[in-house]
Amino acid sequence: MSEIMISLKDIRKTYKSMGDEVEALKSVTLDIKKGESVSVMGHSGSGKSTLLSIIGALNPPTSGIIEIDGIDIYKLSQEKRADFRREYLGFVFQQFQLIPYLTAHENVMLPLTTTKRSNKEKREMAEEVLCRVGLGNKIKRLPNQLSGGEQERVAIARAIVNEPPLILADEPTGSLDTKTGDEIMELFQKLNEEGLTVLMVTHNPDNTSYMGRTILMKDGQLSLDEEDFVSVYSNKKV
Amino acid sequence: MQLYHITINNLRRRKAKMFFVLLGLIIGIATIVSVYGVVETMKTEMTRQVSEFGVNVIITPDAGGLTFSYGGITLPEIMYDVEQLNTADVEAIDKLPSRNMIRVVAPKLLGVDMHGEHKVIIVGANIREEFLVKPWLKIIDDTQLQKVEVNINEGTEKSNETNEEINDKKMDFEAIDLTRQDLEELNLSNNQILIGSTVAATLKVTKGDVLTLSGQELEVYGVLSVSGTMEDQQIFMNLGAAQELLGRSDEITVIEMAVDYLSGSEEDLLSEINLALPNTRVTSLRQETLRRDEMLMRMVRFGIALSTLVLLVGMLVVGLTMSSSVRERTREIGVFRALGFRKSHIVKMIVMEGVSISIVGGFLGYFAGMFITGYAGPLLAGMEIQVPWRIDILFIAIGLAVVIGLLSSLIPAYQASKQDPVEALRFI
Repeated sequence: MSEIMISLKDIRKTYKSMGDEVEALKSVTLDIKKGESVSVMGHSGSGKSTLLSIIGALNPPTSGIIEIDGIDIYKLSQEKRADFRREYLGFVFQQFQLIPYLTAHENVMLPLTTTKRSNKEKREMAEEVLCRVGLGNKIKRLPNQLSGGEQERVAIARAIVNEPPLILADEPTGSLDTKTGDEIMELFQKLNEEGLTVLMVTHNPDNTSYMGRTILMKDGQLSLDEEDFVSVYSNKKV
Repeated sequence: MQLYHITINNLRRRKAKMFFVLLGLIIGIATIVSVYGVVETMKTEMTRQVSEFGVNVIITPDAGGLTFSYGGITLPEIMYDVEQLNTADVEAIDKLPSRNMIRVVAPKLLGVDMHGEHKVIIVGANIREEFLVKPWLKIIDDTQLQKVEVNINEGTEKSNETNEEINDKKMDFEAIDLTRQDLEELNLSNNQILIGSTVAATLKVTKGDVLTLSGQELEVYGVLSVSGTMEDQQIFMNLGAAQELLGRSDEITVIEMAVDYLSGSEEDLLSEINLALPNTRVTSLRQETLRRDEMLMRMVRFGIALSTLVLLVGMLVVGLTMSSSVRERTREIGVFRALGFRKSHIVKMIVMEGVSISIVGGFLGYFAGMFITGYAGPLLAGMEIQVPWRIDILFIAIGLAVVIGLLSSLIPAYQASKQDPVEALRFI
């Protein structure tokens, strides 16, 4: 069994925009070990979200090889890739992205919907994971009846209900106040301590202190330049 | 949790939009059901009327006719050189090669006589045959007659009660269907008559009374119930007795026949009659039946065209609404895809939405259609129609709605499944 959870080799991604080719990622090579927690920082347009979507099996790269837990995910068919996302990945989206007409309990059950588990088992799994994130008493509430922090917890519960080995989070604290943001980051830290690999895109330098490693992106490439780190941490464009 | 839980919850959330889709479906299905109901019921009704009107060939004497016109004013036709029919003509009909096509031959003699100061129309006929070709002829039974008698007597005492009012009272009575059930018992002797309801009221006679016509005393065998036809004003008696009474021995005015056109060629039969009875005029009511069929077919074609149009509009409404619903849910579909839903799961969810609304729409549309048929049908069809509740139509309506829902949600479902999750999540 490989010790590497995410392996990116010379990943490139170009988009066509208004007839021009835009290079979103330029030869990104990166390994993330199992059980690691990594934050990806960078200014807007640096390629963070593109990188996350490629690792999330949602966006095939223009070239390069990406393996997750030893599986070359873009060699899978689209439907198999959907199954892979369900089994291997837990997504935490920016602004929670809960389904407004489903209760917290039903939202958490979403990744289990298309599995062969019984309804009872699905209900119990969702309830247990909601208890883990501290929302055991609010499972019947609709998203609009929950606070921002609570909605984020539901989103995290939804990401881990299927017991995936890898969590991908896109700006999870972006719309939360500092105190709630810290609570959420503590939750991610706890999940990482329990053995989950966590990859998080964030703008907030404070969040990096909860992560084991920080990667900096600039103009579609990984940057090791100290000046860039200072720039990102101080939120200034270099 | 299953996919249908998501579908149901989504439908519940988007009540206004779904109500709009439902309304479109209900209108579409109701239109189809009501058009089908009216046409089908009219067809049944017209077929019944045509078959009930047993006479479909009439033989009358051939005669010359002159029409005079003065500056656009036309006088009634003046007949000349009239050659009467006789009993030999009836016998000739019995010898026709296509006789098997003729179910009933009903010859009759028409004449006018006086009763006191009243003119009465005498019809000499073979009474059983007459009842066979005119199923609406019914004799009022004894108990009803007693009531009629009382009413008539009261009418005599109360001078302000008119004959029309007495007639109306008679119409309330249910007549016994002697023609079909007890035709064997219908035996008139040569000094007995059957009397039409209007004549009975005018002459103030009822069953058992005796009328004197041309000096001959005739007993009223029975009074015919009100039928709204010319028979209400006629007095029926045996053909031979009428010929003797009117002094027109062997003479026949008209021969009515009920022909089964399905058992042979109409053209052959008519040419045989023309050959056997050269001095007669043969009129076939087949043309009338065909004309009705043609009218019905036009209505059916109109119904099909209207239903197709409504069907297409219904599909368009459902399709557009579903499509707009899918567009609104772009982000949501992106989330589903990211969480591991396959394209087929997305298609299933959207199609399930369309189909579940369609089932409800088909069900409600059926009842709305039946309601419209029941109340507006008689106005549209111009006749009294009874619309039966039919379970097969209910299933057809639901099936049709499901097909509409399925077809019109397939394209939006396909569009949804083709959505790039990355594009969808860019809204985030």
